[in-house]
Amino acid sequence: MFFLQLKHELWKLFGKKRTYIGFGAFLLVQLAVILMFRYTKAAGAIRRALEGGGYSAVDFLTAGTIATQIVIPVAYLLLPLYVTLVGGDLVAKETEDGTMRMILARPISRLRLLTLKWSAGTLFSFTLSLILGGFGWLLASFWFPQGGLFAIQIDGGGPGGGFAVFGPAEGAWRYATAHALLATKAVTLLSLAFLFSCFNMKPAAATILALSVMFVNVILMNIPWFADYKSWFLTHHLNLWQWMFLQTTPVTRMAESLCLLFGFNVTFFAIGAATFQVRDIKS
Amino acid sequence: MIQLQALRKLFGQRVAVDSLDLVVPQGVVFGLLGHNGAGKSTTIGMLLGQVWPTSGQLLVRGFDVIANRKDALAKVGAIFEAPVFYDYLSGWRNLEILASYSALTPTKRLSEVVAWVGLSGREHSLVRTYSHGMRARLALAQSLLPAPDLLILDEPTNGLDPEGIHEMRETIRRLHAEFGLTILLSSHLLSEVEQLCTRIAVLHQGTKVFDGSLAEATRGSNRVRLVTENFPEAVVRLQNAALVTGSDGTEFMTLATGSTTAIVAKQLVEWGFPVHAISREESTLEQFYLSLVKKSSSIR
Repeated sequence: MFFLQLKHELWKLFGKKRTYIGFGAFLLVQLAVILMFRYTKAAGAIRRALEGGGYSAVDFLTAGTIATQIVIPVAYLLLPLYVTLVGGDLVAKETEDGTMRMILARPISRLRLLTLKWSAGTLFSFTLSLILGGFGWLLASFWFPQGGLFAIQIDGGGPGGGFAVFGPAEGAWRYATAHALLATKAVTLLSLAFLFSCFNMKPAAATILALSVMFVNVILMNIPWFADYKSWFLTHHLNLWQWMFLQTTPVTRMAESLCLLFGFNVTFFAIGAATFQVRDIKS
Repeated sequence: MIQLQALRKLFGQRVAVDSLDLVVPQGVVFGLLGHNGAGKSTTIGMLLGQVWPTSGQLLVRGFDVIANRKDALAKVGAIFEAPVFYDYLSGWRNLEILASYSALTPTKRLSEVVAWVGLSGREHSLVRTYSHGMRARLALAQSLLPAPDLLILDEPTNGLDPEGIHEMRETIRRLHAEFGLTILLSSHLLSEVEQLCTRIAVLHQGTKVFDGSLAEATRGSNRVRLVTENFPEAVVRLQNAALVTGSDGTEFMTLATGSTTAIVAKQLVEWGFPVHAISREESTLEQFYLSLVKKSSSIR
């Protein structure tokens, strides 16, 4: 019965056109970035960095490298926008539209309903992250060859200086794992928007609040004087996916961040569910 | 079928429903009357477990709605004013989704209900292409899916055109006649209640000001219409006999306490007045409702 209800939640979610805005935007951005690398001199900087480090540009200026360049800005800006848009809708939109009253006229508990909605949102987040990765690589393959992977290290640095290089198999594996971990960022931000969505507010307000919380974290985390306290901020742990592109994977740090993200998700869901449970649902 | 005891709901400091006791027996069409803001929708919200009561007890089908909502609502259907659906999905998909929140519903049951409400042939169209009337039928279909014992209708004719209102009224009659459903109909449209309900309760500012049969409500005052020869003289003699207290001078008079039309008719015949017609004036539900609300407001 749970899976039948979940299937119906997915029908509701994927039946809406706005659910696909994220997918469409990702495709456009990916195409634009790939074409810029292909038909401008932008790839020259990557070539110089590679050759300066003693690597062959032929081996590493590849589909995987270009796809990795795309995911970084998308994961920082577009992904949070689209998952919070969907997360903010999950409960608040149904309440605003009046369909929530129709549902709650039936003998389903509020907790079960929220579990269904959150599960549907989680599946959406995973799909979005994996499609982002899959399409990025696929589109880049039309203009760039397969081969090794070159990634600029954004967070942490480590052995290898400012960038890391991986062979074709390891590069592909790291790229895939990074996107699976990127889904944990998407799910957590969706859970945050879902939490606000359970309060008596408009869907847009829930989305804006979730994004605000994220941006406040980003701002605080990036103040140089707070560098020692980076691990206090949610966004620091949300970025664990990019540690897959470090030459040496910080497994312990990633495990710690995964545990914390799990805790954040449980907390966001619990607060949202408790709030929704005590609310009066009226037209 | 429904039992409310000392039900009270506060929204902040505002009293939405106060000390409401109500019994809706099985098999009746029960009207919940009141103007906008009287507390009807809040009461229905509490009945469905959508609004938490501040205090009091709610039993639906013998089950406590707060403690055992699942059993209480297992065989309950509900329609709200201006029914809302997932417009971007088909009517059929909407029914599948809503049915799954109650129980596993076979496709055959869905088809039966679609046919019963007259949506066959359009059930796979997107709801956004439906007219108001078709949406009302879809709302009815979803409420019938769990094979309900109790149907709760909150302002079901709001937004419908006269033809739609007529259709909805006939459907409610059919539901009651064919399936023997208990129906709780909330409305501020007095004519609708008058035509459909056998028992009513009137809410005013969150308080119940009347609860009884429609016949009791429309029995009216002690005014009696009398058609006889020489009406003024008949009235004088009836006044002297302390059977009436006054008249309008043409054909209406007011009965004294303890007097009835039968006693008056018998007395007039004994006195030799031909009685062509005598009947107690029936007030309309509208007159009754307005007088009730006026009285209640003056007390407050």
